[in-house]
Amino acid sequence: MNELPILIVDDEEEFVSTLVQRLRKRGWSSEGVLTGGAAIAKAVDCDFGVVLLDMRLPDMDGGQVLQEIKKIRPDSRVVILTGHASASEGEEGIRNGALDYLIKPVEFETLLEKLRIAGNHTP
Amino acid sequence: MKMYTATISASALKVRSRESYYARQKRLFFLVIILVPIIPLLFISWTASRFYQQSWMDKTTVELTSLANSRREIIDLFLDNQKNTLAGYAELYDFAWLNTPGNLEKLFKAMNHQGVIVDLGLITQDGSHRSYTGPFADNLKDKNYAKTRWFAEVMQSGSYISDVFTGYRGVPHIIVAVTDPSRSWVLRATINSELFNSLLAGTEVGPGGDAFILNQQGELQTPSRLGLTALPLGEEGLLATDGSLTIHHSQDALYASTGMKNNTWTLVLKTDIATSLADFYRARHRDRLIIAGAALLILTVSNFLVRSMMNKIEGADQQRMQLYDRIRNSEKMALVGRMAANVAHEINNPLQIIGDQAGWVDELLDDEDPAQLKNSEEYRTAFAKIRTQVKRASTITHRLLGFSRSTDGLKTKININTLVEETVSFLEKEATNHRIAIRRNLDPDLPEIVTDSTQLQQVFLNILNNAIDAIGNDGAVTISSSLNEGQLAVEFADSGPGLSEEALKKVFDPFFTTKKAGSGTGIGLSISYSIVERLGGGIEVRNGKQGGCIFRVTLPMAA
Repeated sequence: MNELPILIVDDEEEFVSTLVQRLRKRGWSSEGVLTGGAAIAKAVDCDFGVVLLDMRLPDMDGGQVLQEIKKIRPDSRVVILTGHASASEGEEGIRNGALDYLIKPVEFETLLEKLRIAGNHTP
Repeated sequence: MKMYTATISASALKVRSRESYYARQKRLFFLVIILVPIIPLLFISWTASRFYQQSWMDKTTVELTSLANSRREIIDLFLDNQKNTLAGYAELYDFAWLNTPGNLEKLFKAMNHQGVIVDLGLITQDGSHRSYTGPFADNLKDKNYAKTRWFAEVMQSGSYISDVFTGYRGVPHIIVAVTDPSRSWVLRATINSELFNSLLAGTEVGPGGDAFILNQQGELQTPSRLGLTALPLGEEGLLATDGSLTIHHSQDALYASTGMKNNTWTLVLKTDIATSLADFYRARHRDRLIIAGAALLILTVSNFLVRSMMNKIEGADQQRMQLYDRIRNSEKMALVGRMAANVAHEINNPLQIIGDQAGWVDELLDDEDPAQLKNSEEYRTAFAKIRTQVKRASTITHRLLGFSRSTDGLKTKININTLVEETVSFLEKEATNHRIAIRRNLDPDLPEIVTDSTQLQQVFLNILNNAIDAIGNDGAVTISSSLNEGQLAVEFADSGPGLSEEALKKVFDPFFTTKKAGSGTGIGLSISYSIVERLGGGIEVRNGKQGGCIFRVTLPMAA
């Protein structure tokens, strides 16, 4: 398991905080941010094992955040999480360098599995 | 029973009112195309006819006037001539000479080398016929004229020309009589009737025309060509009153009448309009036939033109309407798709949180002392139920995908009947619970088609679900499949109450539902509609003849 923390980018605070707690309970370190700007700032500061990125953020588009993060750290592993009931956003993310995508609501176990796969993934 | 198809139902009403619109336009065009050439044609024909008739009338009036004048002059001159000649002899010879046997005969011969008179008589002051030469010697030899009208007239005025009268000889004739200057005797000659009549005989009054002379009593003085024996009843106006020339115009004849012989006679010339205008009437008849023929030709051609023109316009309009409907539907679906995606997004986020929170608490329960947790199992069950409900809700939000999902790459070769059977199997239990029979009337020889079976199944599910809901309890749904004109058709006929006209029109509109509030979203058929349309087919709804409603899904053989 990758030792680097997981960065969770989502404007839903409840979702982020609970996810951080649940991951911590399983021994995974993670950090949550609520905006695209904060996510990019974090990416500049340090490296993350996996970035879980929502496509709809209050300050900017998820796709843009993805591109910025990829610019800063080209080997970032990004998993898209979208509430949009359409696969197209996720597919577009994959074209832009994301590893995978998930559509909300997603079962915690499924999410863990995706993160696990992404963490072990070597670009 | 009228058929309504939901896809064109909005325009169907328009089409019906448009039918009368096209019929009106057709009539209007037809009328214009016909009237534009025919009105001038009729107008020309009418004016030409009027003009011709009027000019003929004018010309004939002038001709008749000059003819009447010239005839009057000739006849007056002829009669005056006879009178003057006779008066000349009466002055030249005395009674003794004329009374000498043989002399009157000599004079008659001298006067009559042209055959103008038929006899000559010498009568004394007391009216006795002294001498006579001519063919009626036996009748007239010893007659006394003292009491005749003409004798009284001639003795009074010195000369006299009679009307036609029969007299002692028993033959109609005209006489000219003069006295000697001392009025002691009378010389009398009888005009040759044939010669006199011939003065009028040559008058050119055309076929059906007439020329004759009347006296003041309206008696004919010359024979009528038409065999008249007296002045026709009701035409007394023809008798010259002041002697001037008058033109009379009756329904079918033109008359010229003029006084003559010092206004004691009236010369009447008649031209028959109908026979004189016969050529014109023939020409007019021919013209009318030509116009009728032309009108018929115009009628046929314009009918053909208007028909084909209006059919083209109507066809183009219909195409435009259909296109408009399709565009409108596509726009509606696109809007619904965008809306559905947004709604799904907004709901998916809270669902995620609900699920997470339940999962988190469930996990935390692991840390508790089981001995202190009295209702541990109850909690676990409750969390499981929450997860199930979140999943159920997310199924709904994911179903909204149906609006915006593309069908690329998902097409497989399927047998429609198999798909129907599969779909039925999902709902058979529910149907049985409501005592609803699902009957199949499937054509076993249907070819396989290439289509998106998952989405098509969703369509069938939606329709079948609606059918079961519409029936409620006790009834049947009949599913039939068939192939005609290169299209596969699957029909779902239910035994429910059917749909109102209003509902038939709106049944595919998003969020339209006939179900009770809260039990239907109104998107199922709308999604079905957009799915079938994307698959290149069509979906229609109508009420069945035996009640209930029938949904018909058609799919192209070549997808």
